[in-house]
Amino acid sequence: MSAPDYTDMQLDAMRELANIGSGQAATALASMLGKEVELSVPRALALPLADAVDAVGPAEKTVSSVVLPIFGEIDALVLLLFPTEDAATLCSMLGVEAGTEVGDSAIGEIGNILGTSYINALASMAGLAIEPKPPHVVTDMLGAIVASLLSQTVGETDSALVLDTGLAVAGVQCELSFLLLPTTGGIAELLGRLGVGS
Amino acid sequence: MGELAVSTLAEDELMTIGLGSCIGVAVVDRAKSVAALAHVMLPDASAVPNAPAGKFADTAIPALIEQSERVGARRVRLEAVLVGGAQMFEVGVGSTLDIGARNAVAVREALARARIPVRAQETGGRRGRTMRVHVGAMTVTVKEAGGREVELWSGSPSPRRSAEAIHR
Repeated sequence: MSAPDYTDMQLDAMRELANIGSGQAATALASMLGKEVELSVPRALALPLADAVDAVGPAEKTVSSVVLPIFGEIDALVLLLFPTEDAATLCSMLGVEAGTEVGDSAIGEIGNILGTSYINALASMAGLAIEPKPPHVVTDMLGAIVASLLSQTVGETDSALVLDTGLAVAGVQCELSFLLLPTTGGIAELLGRLGVGS
Repeated sequence: MGELAVSTLAEDELMTIGLGSCIGVAVVDRAKSVAALAHVMLPDASAVPNAPAGKFADTAIPALIEQSERVGARRVRLEAVLVGGAQMFEVGVGSTLDIGARNAVAVREALARARIPVRAQETGGRRGRTMRVHVGAMTVTVKEAGGREVELWSGSPSPRRSAEAIHR
């Protein structure tokens, strides 16, 4: 099976999905922190595997991440990536210390709340019955995190679809990227539900 | 991910940054200063024609051998070094848990089938790793996130080449 090609219309539909999902997540983060949260224009990237990690960020950079697996009518992974300093900023805003068990648990909870808002928006937009599994927090090299997750989602295909949005908390150095990595079967199902299936 | 590279140039460094569950497989012929490196993502390629050469363990090893031989390596002299195969996450989608351990098993089996000895390995655990193969020095180094670069294997100077010289 070779890499699937997506039409511009399909990529637009995926971008719109990411836009609405991350919009919900930004609202949830803003109300949790009591601060304004800015949202970047989402990207829908269909990439050969060789380029997928580099498109997300520098592979060797140490980052904090939260992974939220989604299962149900589609399988996917929601991934939140924070520069480690920004994760520490986030922890201090919540009154916990970064790098501790409590800090990791706070980051996991943020991931849980944001990820759940994202997938709720996605579920209602695409008419899907999906549920998240508990979040998992890992701090490591960006490349190792993203590649390990893509190994789980791409299967036989040689390309990856990555939906990527940046969130930034106003007034402090705190940015995070929000990624949806659908499985190959999940992408086809999503496109079908959005009325742009192939 | 899924890539494969080969070099005979002393100044070259083959590397794969941020190996998580993936495995970096280096195959070298010290006597000919040939080094090849594949980035294996998944254990087996059954029913997947035309996949990238390095993506699956069972196809990556034959591809490493072929490409090394093409630039002058002798199959009988090939030796391997493995890095990666961590289990970074306890969660996942579907039945894909612990791909890292399955990758490591599949790579070792494929190397055993090809009769290539594994000279050094650092696999498993929970941490991501960066692997570098220094072609000129014939060394393999490993670095974890935030850690120091450590030499995992040194294949230089070539013992086989000096043994051959003595026989003559």
